[in-house]
Amino acid sequence: MQPHTVKTLSVIVPVGWRCADAADLYTGYKHGLESLALPYQMIFVLDGPNPKFAAGLEQLAGSGEPIIVVKLTRSFGEATALMAGFEQAGGDIIVTLPAYHQIEADDIVKLVTGLDSADLCYGRRWPRAETWLAGRRRVAFHGLVSAVTGLKVGDLGCGARAMRRQVLVEISLYGDQHRFIPILADRLGFRVSEIDVRQSPKDHFEGSYRIREYTHRILDIFTVFFLVRFTKKPLRFFGMAGVSTFSIGLIITLILVIQRLFFNQPLADRPALLLSSLLVVLGLQLFAIGLLGELIIFTHAKSIKDYQVDRVIEFPPAESHEPGRQPETTNVRQ
Amino acid sequence: MRPKLSIIVPFYNEEESIRPMYAAIVAAIDPLNIGYEMVFVDDGSRDRTVLIGTELAQQDSRVRVVKFRRNYGQTPAMAAGIEHARGEILVTMDGDLQNDPADIGLFLDKMAEGYDIVVGWRHNRQDKMISRKIPSMIANRLIGKVTGVPIRDNGCSLKAYRGDLIKEIPLYSEMHRFIPAMASIAGPRIAEIKVRHHARQFGKSKYGLSRIYKVLLDLMVIKTVASFTSRPLLWFSLLTLPMLLIGMALLGITLYASMADKTMLSLPIAGTGVICLTSAVILISAGAFGELVYKLGDLRESQFSRLTQQVSTGHSAHALGRAQ
Repeated sequence: MQPHTVKTLSVIVPVGWRCADAADLYTGYKHGLESLALPYQMIFVLDGPNPKFAAGLEQLAGSGEPIIVVKLTRSFGEATALMAGFEQAGGDIIVTLPAYHQIEADDIVKLVTGLDSADLCYGRRWPRAETWLAGRRRVAFHGLVSAVTGLKVGDLGCGARAMRRQVLVEISLYGDQHRFIPILADRLGFRVSEIDVRQSPKDHFEGSYRIREYTHRILDIFTVFFLVRFTKKPLRFFGMAGVSTFSIGLIITLILVIQRLFFNQPLADRPALLLSSLLVVLGLQLFAIGLLGELIIFTHAKSIKDYQVDRVIEFPPAESHEPGRQPETTNVRQ
Repeated sequence: MRPKLSIIVPFYNEEESIRPMYAAIVAAIDPLNIGYEMVFVDDGSRDRTVLIGTELAQQDSRVRVVKFRRNYGQTPAMAAGIEHARGEILVTMDGDLQNDPADIGLFLDKMAEGYDIVVGWRHNRQDKMISRKIPSMIANRLIGKVTGVPIRDNGCSLKAYRGDLIKEIPLYSEMHRFIPAMASIAGPRIAEIKVRHHARQFGKSKYGLSRIYKVLLDLMVIKTVASFTSRPLLWFSLLTLPMLLIGMALLGITLYASMADKTMLSLPIAGTGVICLTSAVILISAGAFGELVYKLGDLRESQFSRLTQQVSTGHSAHALGRAQ
């Protein structure tokens, strides 16, 4: 049903602390993109000062390469950098690429052509060069994420994605959420597909931040868990947790009281009393948090809608400036 | 121009039903001689529902199709239909031909009597006894008891609402069953009328027994939230009161012991007292936070009261020239 006009491509490259040589990277991507034979623009977003890469880009721009460079004053994170790049992007298709050699640039074609039957395609580096331990870790992480979200994901760390413009219009990204773009897009009802791309031989990570890496991954799973499961129904989760904690505390308290009354065990020197009251109080507080969450959803249900309207089909088609149209229908029409 | 009536029908994989549904609506409403529109919500169907809907919209400008990108469920479908409807009176019904559009006339009559919500009651329900009717009977009793809105058939989708009112009611999760109960925060006048109910002709039933657990949880949530929404601080303070008293008492004992009789001094009792007091403080803060949330939200009780109030003006009273 899409009109058959020539599609334009906007390529966004967020440049964080991990980056390759600008000229080297650009030549590779340029070669990969040119085989598509579609008009494209390339946008580099420098997430924080990066003099070496910036100099490389200036040199490229100086030699006549058509690139757009967005410089952010400090490091805002990759998600924000992507959105900053998106503001400059005019293409129908948005391609995001990592600022270091992660995939073979020639495989960008696969991602873009994959859009014929999907709204978002993201790369899965395969076959993968990695140590045995790293492989187990990756499988465990993605297995957990898939279990939580119900979407089968194989490589959330891959920065190469191609998507229709509409996906980024509707997704609101912040913080570290760039990794979850496929999951968020799936939640919005877009068709998401994973496409195998070859891993670049230069894609190996020499770092020594093992513990930080682990904690980040675990926090990622938490984030996804709450994002997907409980943002719409906080009281269901926190309420259940709260009520069960409260009940356990109450049962212990009752046992203590019965022992005091009928078996004459003194209450005053039993640390179990502390435990039971702690559980009761914890239960109440969890419940209160759930209630607050529910209150937020309840009083903001109009603005945090839990559905997305794809389009409204009507004849004659309504103009967006048609007088007398109710304002609440305008913002969801495309 | 604003139509008098909007008929909202959610469809999910109902390619056989959508045309007969349209025909039945037109046959039923055209003789009533009022301006009306039909809002068909496609809940991410995978069959030809959207295609047929588009054809209908092309043939008849009174039909609009609101298309979801994926399947979201009945409540979001209803909510989207309500959001996109423009009529003064909104009528919702199922897309599976189990409700009869011929009943809509009765709803309009009842609305004209001054009711804000009119709900249908399928008094001769054509469904399976064990899996559908008995659970729903129990659920209805329970919902009536808990929410204080005694409706015999919450599950019947055929309902009519005043458009301005229902657009203000938050609808999310799986609350389409409780719309009257949700709407009760606005204090509407609710009436119930008997409607016809047909056995399913096409397709499969999409809603089964497994929903009971969710219904119960949602019920609890509605009850809690509806009762405390507009005054969170008060509600939380009441929750806190017993804890505050226990904490004070326990700390009182400790204080007394430390001054009068050192042998009575006990760490667990002092600790428990401290825990109770601390959490009382935290909960009261949560209540204050709740007030802030309510203040920033888009629910307004004054809005509800304006929508349901009746103003009677005496003969000698006259307006003071304030344009409405």
